[in-house]
Amino acid sequence: MAKRGKAQSPAPAAGKPQPFDFQTRRNRRLIPFVVITFVGFMILLGKLFREQVLHRDEYIEREKQQTMRRIILPGPRGSIYDRNGELLVGNRARFSAAVFLNSLRKEFRTEYLSQIREIKRQEAETGEKVNISNSELIWGSRMAVIQNHLDEISRILGRPVSVSRRSLETHFNSRILLPLKLVADLTEEEYARLVDQLPPNSPVQVWTESARYYPYGDLAAHSLGYVVNREEQLSEAEEESNNLLTFSHYGKVGKAGIERTFNSLLDGENGQEVWRVDPQGFQYERLSLTRPQQGEDLYLSLDVAIQQAAQRGLEGKVGAAIAIDPVTGEVLAIASSPTYDLNDLTPYIPSDVYREIDQAGGWLHRAIQGLYPPGSTFKPLTAIAAFRRGVLDPDEILFCGASFRVGNRNFPEHSAPGFGEIGLPRALAVSSNVFFYQIGLRASIDWIADTARMFGLDKPTGIELPFESSREIVPNREWKKETHGAPWFPGDTANTSIGQGYLQVTPLNMAVVAAGLATGSTGLRPTMVRRDAGWTPEEPLVPLPLTEDEYDAILLGMIRAVEEGTARRTRFNDMTVAGKTGTAQVYPDGKPLTLAWFIGFAPVEDPRIAIAVVIEGVSASDQYHGGTTAAPVAREIFAAWKDSLKRE
Amino acid sequence: MLRLRTQAGKPFLILGLLLLAWLLIPPTIKRFSRNALYEFQAPSAILASKMEDLGTYWSIRSRSKRDLIETGKELSRLNALYRVQAGETVALRDYNLRLRELLDIPSPPGFRYEVAQVVRRDLSNWWQYLVIRKGRDAGIVPGAGVVFSGGVVGRIREVNAYTSTVELLSSRTFRMAAHFSGDTRPVRYEGGIIPSLRNPKGTVRDVPSDLYASPEQPLILVSSRLGGVFPDGLKIGEVRFLETDATGLFQRGIVQLDEQLLNLNEVAVLIPAEPSAREIFNENP
Repeated sequence: MAKRGKAQSPAPAAGKPQPFDFQTRRNRRLIPFVVITFVGFMILLGKLFREQVLHRDEYIEREKQQTMRRIILPGPRGSIYDRNGELLVGNRARFSAAVFLNSLRKEFRTEYLSQIREIKRQEAETGEKVNISNSELIWGSRMAVIQNHLDEISRILGRPVSVSRRSLETHFNSRILLPLKLVADLTEEEYARLVDQLPPNSPVQVWTESARYYPYGDLAAHSLGYVVNREEQLSEAEEESNNLLTFSHYGKVGKAGIERTFNSLLDGENGQEVWRVDPQGFQYERLSLTRPQQGEDLYLSLDVAIQQAAQRGLEGKVGAAIAIDPVTGEVLAIASSPTYDLNDLTPYIPSDVYREIDQAGGWLHRAIQGLYPPGSTFKPLTAIAAFRRGVLDPDEILFCGASFRVGNRNFPEHSAPGFGEIGLPRALAVSSNVFFYQIGLRASIDWIADTARMFGLDKPTGIELPFESSREIVPNREWKKETHGAPWFPGDTANTSIGQGYLQVTPLNMAVVAAGLATGSTGLRPTMVRRDAGWTPEEPLVPLPLTEDEYDAILLGMIRAVEEGTARRTRFNDMTVAGKTGTAQVYPDGKPLTLAWFIGFAPVEDPRIAIAVVIEGVSASDQYHGGTTAAPVAREIFAAWKDSLKRE
Repeated sequence: MLRLRTQAGKPFLILGLLLLAWLLIPPTIKRFSRNALYEFQAPSAILASKMEDLGTYWSIRSRSKRDLIETGKELSRLNALYRVQAGETVALRDYNLRLRELLDIPSPPGFRYEVAQVVRRDLSNWWQYLVIRKGRDAGIVPGAGVVFSGGVVGRIREVNAYTSTVELLSSRTFRMAAHFSGDTRPVRYEGGIIPSLRNPKGTVRDVPSDLYASPEQPLILVSSRLGGVFPDGLKIGEVRFLETDATGLFQRGIVQLDEQLLNLNEVAVLIPAEPSAREIFNENP
């Protein structure tokens, strides 16, 4: 018992504080601290819950934005073909020597350290501190590395190449994930030299992009149009759903012609890459890749051979020529001169090329933007107006002297002695002015203007080409009063009867007139797109309100114009052509110039091609006439069309 | 027990120490020892090759007189044929030169051929090299093209005193400019696919999308003179299938290389005839 009693510790003396007493007793003074600590922990836990659970998505998104980048890969554009499948616009490779900055990081670091060592060595030698900022040192070493690679490229290519520090800085700051182009637009030989002589493990690589390629150069240049570079954008839906920092290679957008009108069809579908990047913003790993898709191909109604013939005819002249299928409205050829080589405009338009084309007046698409008085090619419409009003008989004979007096003014015949007593066919064949003054005055301007509107001369044709002129003028009494504040005079009617005066139409308008005369109908809408077999117009063509005799009289006049009249140069032994020439006078800047016109169609029995040609005189000494200047161009087109039939 | 364990670990320790020592040795010494080893090995490889030549010579010598007479006749016929073809080639070359002079087109760089025997083949899935029996002594320079009767063999990678290493077309790191026979647009050939026990293959990239190849109508890939290393028109291989690449703009395809490529005994090195042309190999003219 005594042993046990010895082992027991002595009981603490009452009232004397012992160590760790505060753990066993409740100390009221500690309660506020406990509460504060508890509340503090609760707040922390609450915050933790809020940040980790409630704001989870927001942080995931932010993490993504900080560590993920998107690169948009533009899809190549679709190709454009002629009606027979000949390539008119395709894509070609555009090669550049480029480097991904990511692959130079080690070299940047080595160069940076080497420059630091050099500075330290200099400081040790001279005992003076070298005054250079760290930023300057970083950029200097980056530039030195790039320069080393430029020197290597320069040796291989045999020409000096350079990259400015400014462009390097810009690339670093805004396009770091995209390749830095050291040399753009390599020639085929330069491409081959780099492929052969650059080591395969070199950070400099041959980078390939697409550029538009025009195998026929200046063929239908105004109508095919060109593209310009643009930075690709995501669709709004994609942008909202995945808000990542995005880089984009340059894509292309149609700026003119078919490239512009059918941009959405030809434009490829963008692909994209999503990359995880490191804290410096360099590529770390590719997370996803969506391949770009090429745009749709487009088949035009143009025929390369006929287009070439039209351009051959216009070579060295200023003007336009159009050939259309009068039944379907398909444009077989549409040429404007002077023209330009589309390959010179890709991948961008150099300022000297732009200036050269501008000075030559080459940007104007004369076929759809040139406004001209139609001259004598308008005479068939005057005849139709007279028939419609019932003031002309198909067999009627009129006396056509050397001039015709209207009011107090003499309107001359283009041939001094006049033509004597002639009917409509002969008047069309010899293009008598006096005959049409007479029947125009009989028909009145109201019927003439209405007939011109019936053929669509007062508005654009609606062809799928951008910037078609909408400033056509078919004058009448109201128009003159509104624009000139003057009444309409009989002399105005006489002038309009022969396609002069205030009339202003485009060559395409006149091609539609030629097609209408060929089929005896109106309402044709020309198109640049190939029609499929079995195609029918959305709105049926409207037959001309003429009797058979009346239509035949006009047709006979146009045939005789080709057989024995002013349009003799479009005559073929094995094909009947109907045509009408015109020679109009214009006074731009008060300077008198002549315009040579031709409209016509063939074969008369089953019209398959309708043509309009206009040639502008460029100086007062140019003595142009429809029969000698415009008709030969039309003949070339007819001949090419005949050849194309043989090929078929 | 402990002693046994220490003894067992000793080789690993030595290996580790050796590796450490190798890592610490300056790169210059490493390069020197590597080259020295190679130069030391080279005579034995050359000797083996010459012994093989001697063996071939004696095997021919042991053939019967009738056989030798027949072979001699055949050789005369072939020589006559080649003389005619060589004459035609010279005439065509002269004609070509005259046309170039008339049209004021610069002549393509000429080459001198240095024929060399293959003494060793170093073929693996990572690289494919040949060692040939000529080096600096014959004026061979790194980067020079190497050809054989069937077309392109590869490019000189390394030149030693009496031997050179040729990187084969089928090697993963080989790349050259090429074009298809009948089409002048340049494309890029790359080695890289080395299937076991099958013919070597390569890849062709940047092929314009309007070209078409099929097993019935294969496209022949030939060398391009534009790169400056090879003359124009030497066969690289055949392409029997093309597919659109990732950009959707071009096509790529597999190039079937010549069956003999891995079994060659003799090749010719193309050495630029004009000193100025050596600039492309970064050699002083």
